[in-house]
Amino acid sequence: MKRRPGISGLHSAAAARDQYRSVGENVARIRTDLLKDQLATFRTQLEEFARKHKHDIKKNPAFRAQFHEMCSKVGVDPLASNKGFWAELLGIGDFYYEIGVQIVEICLATRSHNGGLIDLNELCSMLSKKRRTSREPITTDDCLKAIDKLKVLGSGFEVFTVGKKKLVRSVPTELNKDHNQILELAEVRGFVLVEDVERALSWHPGRVIDALETLMKEGLVMIDDGHPDRKRRYWFPCVSLSSSNAEEL
Amino acid sequence: MGDFKFPYFFDYPPYFTLQPVQDTREKQMQLWKELILRYCQHHKCFIINLEQEFPLFQNLSIQRKLSFEAREVFLAALVAEGKAEWLDKAHKKCLVLWRSIQEWSEMILQLVRDNAMEDGVLTLDEIQSGDESRGTELAGIDRFVLVRALKLLEQRGKAAMFKGKAGDDEGVKFSAS
Repeated sequence: MKRRPGISGLHSAAAARDQYRSVGENVARIRTDLLKDQLATFRTQLEEFARKHKHDIKKNPAFRAQFHEMCSKVGVDPLASNKGFWAELLGIGDFYYEIGVQIVEICLATRSHNGGLIDLNELCSMLSKKRRTSREPITTDDCLKAIDKLKVLGSGFEVFTVGKKKLVRSVPTELNKDHNQILELAEVRGFVLVEDVERALSWHPGRVIDALETLMKEGLVMIDDGHPDRKRRYWFPCVSLSSSNAEEL
Repeated sequence: MGDFKFPYFFDYPPYFTLQPVQDTREKQMQLWKELILRYCQHHKCFIINLEQEFPLFQNLSIQRKLSFEAREVFLAALVAEGKAEWLDKAHKKCLVLWRSIQEWSEMILQLVRDNAMEDGVLTLDEIQSGDESRGTELAGIDRFVLVRALKLLEQRGKAAMFKGKAGDDEGVKFSAS
């Protein structure tokens, strides 16, 4: 007997298709459910982990950094809310909030000296000295996280890289390309001479002086006419090599 | 008395050059004014003579020194604040009042009370370097400043200065009880 595609055949095909579709949907739903379950489990496990290792997370910067990486991989932000579950559990929100406040204090205190730009390492070392009595060590990573939080508050804090250094800017002044290039040159000895900049960047003396004078007006540069060779030096407190400033705070 | 501790800015060359930018200059002046007062107090230095070298105004380790103009600007700022006085019209000699004359006069009164000399007599020499003042801030006080402080006490009726007999030092009779 020959099989003919009759109406019933068509029906079966449609029915079959429906069935496949619903199975397909089931599969998809099952997969999503599974995923949700997995995430829920993972989240629970992460919370368990955090609970168990709360002490280590607080005390050990390297461990803390790895923990953060793990969290970000699964889209969990322990710093998301100061009052959230994570903040409560780990007291982490308070920790970064506290550092943030101290960073603002340090930037304000040094602003008249460095014009509102400070080397990240210097900031971190001053922060450590300030927190001498606290038992928790601070890394530049912690500083960066705290500054990130500060940015959210719209406080005008910005971290940018010039040459080999990371600088933290706590004033609205933005540096243009010319300024950045000079800043990079200044990193070597903490100061520049006009002739250095002319030579290194092949600029007109006029362009050099213009840039330096703007930086001076912003409080980022101080002049020094006291060298025995009588040549004027332009010093950049923000890339200065001393961190003895900390004593003053 | 201990070594004098220099602040961070003392080792940073630009602070030895008068800064042209207003805000920076103000910060610089404030730092130098504080330093001058603290240094003078520590070393019991009362007079700064601009025509002579003053150890505070140079830092050999960084090969920098304050120009004459810079020194004058900083001292003038102290004068404007009442923390110093020019002793001459040419502004070459400056009296540094890290304690005000008023404060010095109070200290003398305290010395008098501590030594039960409310109705007593002391020579100026004794106040400057006698047993009574040893160990107090009065020891080594500049004569000119001392006389000014005593004059203030005279105005308040607490003391009366007198000249000793020929050869004797000036003295002061207290009525501080």
